[in-house]
Amino acid sequence: MNAFDLTEDQQDCLQELINVAMGQASDQLARYLDTFVYLKVPSIEQVRAEHLFDSLNEDLAATAIVSQGFFGYEGIRGEALLMYEPQDSHRLADLLGYEAGELTFDEQIIDLSSILTTTFLNVFANQIDNQMSYSAPRLLSGSLGSVNKHLQQQAFNWDLALKVRISYQVTDYSFNCDMVLLIPEEAIINIKTVIDRILAEF
Amino acid sequence: MSANVLICDDSNLARKQVFRSLPENLSTNVQLATNGEEALEILRSQNVDILFLDLTMPVIDGLGVLQALKDENIDLPVFVISADVQPEMQTRVLNLGAKAFLRKPIQLDILNEQLRTHGFL
Repeated sequence: MNAFDLTEDQQDCLQELINVAMGQASDQLARYLDTFVYLKVPSIEQVRAEHLFDSLNEDLAATAIVSQGFFGYEGIRGEALLMYEPQDSHRLADLLGYEAGELTFDEQIIDLSSILTTTFLNVFANQIDNQMSYSAPRLLSGSLGSVNKHLQQQAFNWDLALKVRISYQVTDYSFNCDMVLLIPEEAIINIKTVIDRILAEF
Repeated sequence: MSANVLICDDSNLARKQVFRSLPENLSTNVQLATNGEEALEILRSQNVDILFLDLTMPVIDGLGVLQALKDENIDLPVFVISADVQPEMQTRVLNLGAKAFLRKPIQLDILNEQLRTHGFL
């Protein structure tokens, strides 16, 4: 076990914090789309640099990816990727209730992504007595190359990353959106410290 | 009044949170289940007076447990404790027979209020 590995209790605690945040983000999404959002148990895994991009590649059946950085106190930071499947991009305007020409596709998808990312992370931060700031969301093309390039431009060490994947399924419209949070090596230790503080209360 | 309590949640932390929030009279005979299948095995074979049930779980989720209880005519008060706070989800669990829907993380005063409302305090 290395310094970045999470113990079973730490993983369980992180998963529960994510569950609560995911629940409130899905509620926002459900209200935004006026429909019901089906939630799955989120996955949490540690990914080494040599596997990070392969692992993302498996997720990248996406046509559009919106990336947004997040920065909290105590060195908690990372990158959120919102991934949309190809067939969903065509009906996004209908789902969001926009009139033709009201917003471009890029603006629509950034709009939705920002709501999901910030709702999720604000609730997550609130539970650990933290507060998040965000970079401007950025639309990337749905290719591994563009995500890879974008991540390499961040001032993070991606030798090892904590990867959290959350799936939002809007069953009425067969619309799926995956949120992948990537937490770089240096932030994993900081998250472990915060989790240990919560666990100490139990 | 003493009661046999079952707490079903896939998270150890969440199970502890519920256990620690229980009033003294409900804290003596507590069993734990980590998914819906485990909970149903206990509920089919033992006398349980009150179930605290999570929704988003592996194997069989909370909705699956509520549906099975209904199908098998297992009648007991179920308090759903979930992070999935969508109004439609709250309606679904109440329609499936749950006594109450409580948001995660559990709030002691709200839990006590619900237990009092349903005669457990």
